[in-house]
Parts: sequence; C-alpha cells; structure tokens
Amino acid sequence: MSSGVIDLSVWQLGLALLLVAAVVAVSLRQALGLERDLALGAVRTVVQLYGVGLILAAVFAAARWYWVVLILVAMTAVATHAAVSRLTRPLPRGYPIAAAALTVSTVATLAYVIFVVVQVRPWYDPQYIIPIAGMILGNSMTSAALAGERLQGELHARAAEVETRLVLGFSGREAVQPLVRSALRAAMIPTVNGLMTVGLVQLPGMMTGQILAGSSPLVAIRYQIVVMFMLAAATAVGALIFVRLAVHGYLTPAHQLRRYLV
Amino acid sequence: MHAESETGSRTSNSPKAGADPVFAVERLSLAYPARRGQPAAQILRDVSFRLERGRALTLVGPSGSGKSSLLRCLNRLEEPTAGTVRFEGRDIRSLDPRRLRREVALVTQAPVLFEGTVRDNLLLRPADATGDFSEARLARTLAEVGLDEQTLDRDAGTLSGGEKQRVTIARALLGDPRVLLLDEPTSALDPPNAALVVETVLRLREARGMTIVASTHQPELVRRLGGDAMFLVKGEVRTDQRLDAFLAGERAAEGLAT
Repeated sequence: MSSGVIDLSVWQLGLALLLVAAVVAVSLRQALGLERDLALGAVRTVVQLYGVGLILAAVFAAARWYWVVLILVAMTAVATHAAVSRLTRPLPRGYPIAAAALTVSTVATLAYVIFVVVQVRPWYDPQYIIPIAGMILGNSMTSAALAGERLQGELHARAAEVETRLVLGFSGREAVQPLVRSALRAAMIPTVNGLMTVGLVQLPGMMTGQILAGSSPLVAIRYQIVVMFMLAAATAVGALIFVRLAVHGYLTPAHQLRRYLV
Repeated sequence: MHAESETGSRTSNSPKAGADPVFAVERLSLAYPARRGQPAAQILRDVSFRLERGRALTLVGPSGSGKSSLLRCLNRLEEPTAGTVRFEGRDIRSLDPRRLRREVALVTQAPVLFEGTVRDNLLLRPADATGDFSEARLARTLAEVGLDEQTLDRDAGTLSGGEKQRVTIARALLGDPRVLLLDEPTSALDPPNAALVVETVLRLREARGMTIVASTHQPELVRRLGGDAMFLVKGEVRTDQRLDAFLAGERAAEGLAT
C-alpha cells in the first residue's frame, strides 16, 4: 500500500475534462440544450475550486488564528444566505435567525470536537478546523432550511388549529408546540437515517478522501464515527434554535398568531 | 315580539346602575400592514358599542365586513390598531390574554376538533386550567348542547358537521366562560343541523343567562336570538335603515312562505 497521494498534473485534469466533453456530446445529440450550462458549470468548478484552494493554501501557510476565524465567518455567512434563500415563503427576520442558529450550532459542536474529542493543538490548526467546520455548516444549513420550510408549511395549514388552542387558553408557545415538533422531526430525520445506513449504502465523502490521502481505513472510520455523532448534534441544535426563533416571529407577547404572516 | 322590538339600529343597551357592562368597545379600528404585494387593509373602523350582562348582540353584514375580526378583537386574538375594548370595566390589554379567553370563549365558524375521541377534545385544556372536568360534568355539558353521553367515546373524526359544531360549543362551555362568542355558528351547516345549533344557543341563553355575541349573515338567527343587532359594512357600523331593510326582507320572505 502506498502512502501519500499521486499529484495530479494539469494534463491529467484535462483528461478528466474529457468526461464533461462526453456529456456535452450526449446533450447535443439528444438535443437536451444543456451544453451552455455544462460548459459554464465546468468553468465555474475549476475557477471556484482553484480560488478556494489558493485561499486555503495561504491560510494553511500563515497558520494564524485570525485568518482561520475570518474563513469560518465567511463560510457561516454563505451558509446563512443559502439556508434563507431555500425557504419558499419569506420568513420575518430570516437572516438574523439563520445566522444565530448556524453560528451557535457550529461554534458549540466545533468547540466540543476540536477541544474535547480530537484535542487539536493549536485549536486553529486549519487542517482540522476548516474541513470539520465545513461539514457542520453544510449539515446545519440543510437542517435549518428543512425545519424552516416545514414550520412555515405547518403554520399555513394548521393556523386554525393553533388558534383553537389559543382560544382555549393555551399560551402561544404551547399552541404551536405540535407544529414545532413536526418541523424538528422533519429536520432531523435525514440525520437519523444517515446514522442507520452509513457505510452500507455509500462511503461518506470525508472517509473516502482520507483513504485516498493514504490513511488506514481503520483510522478513517474512527474519524467518520466522530463526524456522524458531531453532525447529529449540529443538525439538532441548528434546527432547534432556528425553529424556536422563527416561530417566535409568528407569535405576539399577547399570545396571538400573526395570521397575515402565515 | 320582544326580540323584534329590540332588533333595531340601536347598538347599545341601557346601562344598569352601578355595574360595568360586559363589553364596552370604544372607537375600535383594525388594519393589517401591507405585505408581499398585498396592500394594507382596513378591517374595522371606529366601531363602538356596549353590551350588558346576560344580553345578546348579533353582528350582521356581508362576508368580509369585519364581523369575525370584531369577535376576534373581543378575546384579543387580534390586536386592534386603535381604540379600546373594556371587559367588565377593565381594558383587555391589562388582562392576561389566556385568562381573558377562558372568560370570553370563542366558537369559530369551521369547527376544529383534534385527533382522538370527543372526550379527548373536551378535556383539551392548558395545564393550569381550573374547573370541573369530571365524567358527569362532561355528560351534562354534552346534554346541554343536545348530544348524548355515548358521544364521549366517539372518534371526533366521525361526527357530522352539526355534531362537531355542538362539541366545540360544549368544549367552550366546559371552561365556564362568562361570554360566548359565536362566529357564524350555523353558516356551514344544513338547515336541520343549523336549527339544532340555534336551539342549543337559545337554551343556553335562557338557562344560563349567558352573554352572547354572534355573527351571522342569516337574519333568522338575529330574529331568534333576540337582543340587539349591529350592521357592519366594510368594517364600519351602519346605523341607517339597511339593517331594518335586511330584517324586513327576511320577514317579508317568511310572510310569503307561510
């Protein structure tokens, strides 16, 4: 077994590009009309990944905590935007809510994994913190968007049910609790299913990458186990904070449902 | 005859000496802000009335005239943009909305029952709810709305529209409210079920002396419930002859029918 990685030359990347060229040929032949998007997509893939690679190389070389924090802040901002724009209905105060949910879930989970579980020294070692933060943010973002989408759908469909509870003297929080529960379940089910099927249906990307990079599969699976548990926590915390803050925007302190929003 | 003499354009009863009216509404307005391409909407404008204990008030008007919104302001499900609602002399903004809603029970137009039996639905209460929720009381309250004791164990999903509406009235009554707000209690029902619900409400008014505010676009209910009627058009109280015309039209139609 060889350790280390085969470095890819520009020519080898060019050979990989032939795969996209084959898809373009199919698209032309079948009149799919996807050639322009395929070409643009291929260019964007190269440009975006080279851009990220150059930035990460610079941050790795500098190994300063403030550069690492800046990268994490930028990643959180992008994830916040992505989570909010995935919602089909506008959410009152959507950006601050998503930013708060993603920041808290990422910082809390990341701190536990970096300081307590993996015990990375120094903590800001970009080789660990950036890929781990990326996985946490990506999953928190998806679960927050899922939870938000479900919550809005539930509020729309079940407004009369919420008001029936209010009429009976329940607090606003109690009145929306069944809807909150349903939104949280919707957000967490993909993570729970992931825990069930990991390794059976597909090998997770990080584990694959680690093995490609020369790690023993037994080392790689230990990291993957940590990652799975970490993502379970991150998605739960992210969805919980997001839904709690979001539902608050639909209620008033006088235990009223803002009907014109739902 | 008594009912007819009272159903006029007057919107207030003569106050009893020394007692606060159950509701005193002063220049109430409600508007929704503009959102998502929808313009701002004025729902109620400068609505005022007083309602004494044990009396009935019927809100009449075309759909979209603000009848439901006015009821929802009385138990503070909606927040008025201007004006005040006083319940037994106190501004409702100074009361805990959860307590207010237990005193002023609203029965909505489309009955909402939750999964489970009728008993489950009748027992759905906040943890701090006080009152008698014993089996005997449940059976008695069901009898009050014309349903028998066996209904308790029925799956709420299998009830007819009229039965559902009466269960929601029973659920409201179990909280021992002082006022019953009925939003179009009969509009979703066929004539026999509507008649049953009207009977139920009349009995409650007589037996409990309960203060009732009902909205309807059916003149029949106004006439039978007695008390005062208030005509709303586009969120404003109309004191012109349109209400009399509305009721006269109904009486004329009845005259032709008989």
